[in-house]
Amino acid sequence: MSGPLMNVEDLRVAYRAGRRKVEAVKGVSFEVGRGKCLGVVGESGSGKSSLARAVLGLEAEVSGRVEFDGQDVLSLKRAGRLAFRRRAQMVFQDPIGSLNPRMKAGAALAEVLRVHGLAKTRAEAAAQAAHWLETVGMDAAYAGRFPHELSGGQRQRVNLARALCVGAEFLVADEPVSALDVSVQAQILNLLKSLQENRGITWMLIGHDLAVMRHMADDVIVMKAGEVVERGPAADVLSRPAHPYTRELLASAPNVARALERRSRRGTV
Amino acid sequence: MKPADSNGRVKGGADAVLTASGLGVGFFPEGKARLEVVGEVDLCLRPGRTTALVGESGCGKSITAASLGGLLPRGMALDRGEIRWAAGAECRPGRGLAYVFQDPGECLDPVFTIGSQIREVLPKEERGGAGERMSALLRTVGFEDPARVLASYPHQLSGGMQQRAMLALALAGRPRVLVADEPTTALDVTVQAKILRLLAELQRQENLAVLLITHNLGVVAEIADEVHVMYAGRVVESGPVELLRNPRHPYVKGLLKALPRLDGADSRLEGIEGSVPPLGRRPAGCRFHPRCPLARAVCQEREPEMRRRGEEGAVACWACGEGGWA
Ligand SMILES: Nc1ncnc2c1ncn2[C@@H]1O[C@H](COP(=O)(O)OP(=O)(O)OP(=O)(O)O)[C@@H](O)[C@H]1O
Ligand code: SF4
Ligand SMILES: [Mg+2]
Repeated sequence: MSGPLMNVEDLRVAYRAGRRKVEAVKGVSFEVGRGKCLGVVGESGSGKSSLARAVLGLEAEVSGRVEFDGQDVLSLKRAGRLAFRRRAQMVFQDPIGSLNPRMKAGAALAEVLRVHGLAKTRAEAAAQAAHWLETVGMDAAYAGRFPHELSGGQRQRVNLARALCVGAEFLVADEPVSALDVSVQAQILNLLKSLQENRGITWMLIGHDLAVMRHMADDVIVMKAGEVVERGPAADVLSRPAHPYTRELLASAPNVARALERRSRRGTV
Repeated sequence: MKPADSNGRVKGGADAVLTASGLGVGFFPEGKARLEVVGEVDLCLRPGRTTALVGESGCGKSITAASLGGLLPRGMALDRGEIRWAAGAECRPGRGLAYVFQDPGECLDPVFTIGSQIREVLPKEERGGAGERMSALLRTVGFEDPARVLASYPHQLSGGMQQRAMLALALAGRPRVLVADEPTTALDVTVQAKILRLLAELQRQENLAVLLITHNLGVVAEIADEVHVMYAGRVVESGPVELLRNPRHPYVKGLLKALPRLDGADSRLEGIEGSVPPLGRRPAGCRFHPRCPLARAVCQEREPEMRRRGEEGAVACWACGEGGWA
């Protein structure tokens, strides 16, 4: 094991709108080191979700190079693609949309385990499902609950368990906490961080909340209109941004301490 | 914020345009007993001031806001407390009171142009010179090319522009109170910053009383003058916005600690254990007690009332203040 886990070069993603071809990602390059978290920051339409799907091989019109652990993702054959799907997974913003409403949490995990041939018997699958629920901080008793009987945070935990249980090492999380309440968001962010620290999970975290990025990411890339406008260690980029766009993002982020400070200087509180 | 009296009730100042005291909304599921959605809410909205209602999902912010204008969903009723309007202010959506929402689709009709929708809500006496007033309105909300926007249908505008158009529509009836329910939640941060600046400016220019509903404490700190933090249907702490520097209530403290910091000076966040209880499963006593690190026996038995906090504001917590342990 050496070199970055994910290496992306000159990636382009296009969509067809009628006869027109629209480029959503316009030649983006980056790497994600093993056990690191790369933050992808940008506003709506900047191409960050297209980028996320493309590195997992889920976009049709892609050019450039995506290398995962030395393998070329874009030209994988069937068997290789299955193995890649296990090792690299997506986690979505809206966990309710990505869970089957008629399947209890435990059954959902058990099904994934059996599809991937990781549990032979029902009992084995159930035992493993319970183990993974506990790994993401849930009591195993929640295995018996349907998605609508779980809170938003619990559903996001089940979602993470589902990705982890098949042995994912690389998780692409698209706004994983933006639908959650602040108090619950903190629990999930702590969980994501402990998965990175204790299990060596490598993350690509897509989001717009700069404070969340500052908290989670080792490195960040800032995207605008399909291109990377700034990159570097999160601590540098988000405290001393060089690009005017990053500066604008940072200045626009609503922040309690900073806002009160500024207003008391101006005498408007 | 007016000084609260000894039992924490906010006194309606002479300058208040709307004073609500002890507001309560009940939900009446078919064939079942009344469920309280929100209760004991006191509000005092004054011209040129922004009052924020903040809290996590389901705490009752939107229902409180909707109750002021008679916009409650079916099955709910405003059946506790009272609302007083200043003389001359009408309590009617579209006139004395205007709303803007997170989703412009709730206000803007997709089949009419922006212009024809605004004309519709102009006060009768202004319909004559409507063109000019409408252009002025659109300039007020930051459009440089009013004619084009007036002729546009909502889908021809970006999210931020729709939000501005909705604001123009809300202002057309010359309201005295503007209720903004998560007005920037769906927007990109740079657009959000612009809309917030605009709201603050309008509030000053038009001398509006603004009730801002949001789950984002940062947004509150940016533009609110007063803040009420809600939890599970109750206001738990209220006062001037500076209270966010140094809140008293364990829930409010917890919320602030749960926020990641822009300076990155936190390796572990302190979340609040558990999650917000759904309607119908709100605990007895202090509603926060199952999640509160300071809870004692009394918290499970008796509900704390809003008690005065220093000169201004109030907090509902047995641990705070005289005889408390925090
Ligand atoms: N139409 C409805 N019928 C029944 N219950 C409802 C309805 N609308 C809201 N509720 C319930 O009333 C309570 C208060 O809801 P409200 O919409 O005011 O919350 P909120 O604080 O605005 O939350 P959010 O941040 O999610 O918008 C919640 O428990 C909610 O589930
Ligand atoms: S009353 Fe008790 S449980 Fe409620 S917030 Fe105060 S200390 Fe915590
Ligand atoms: Mg709401």
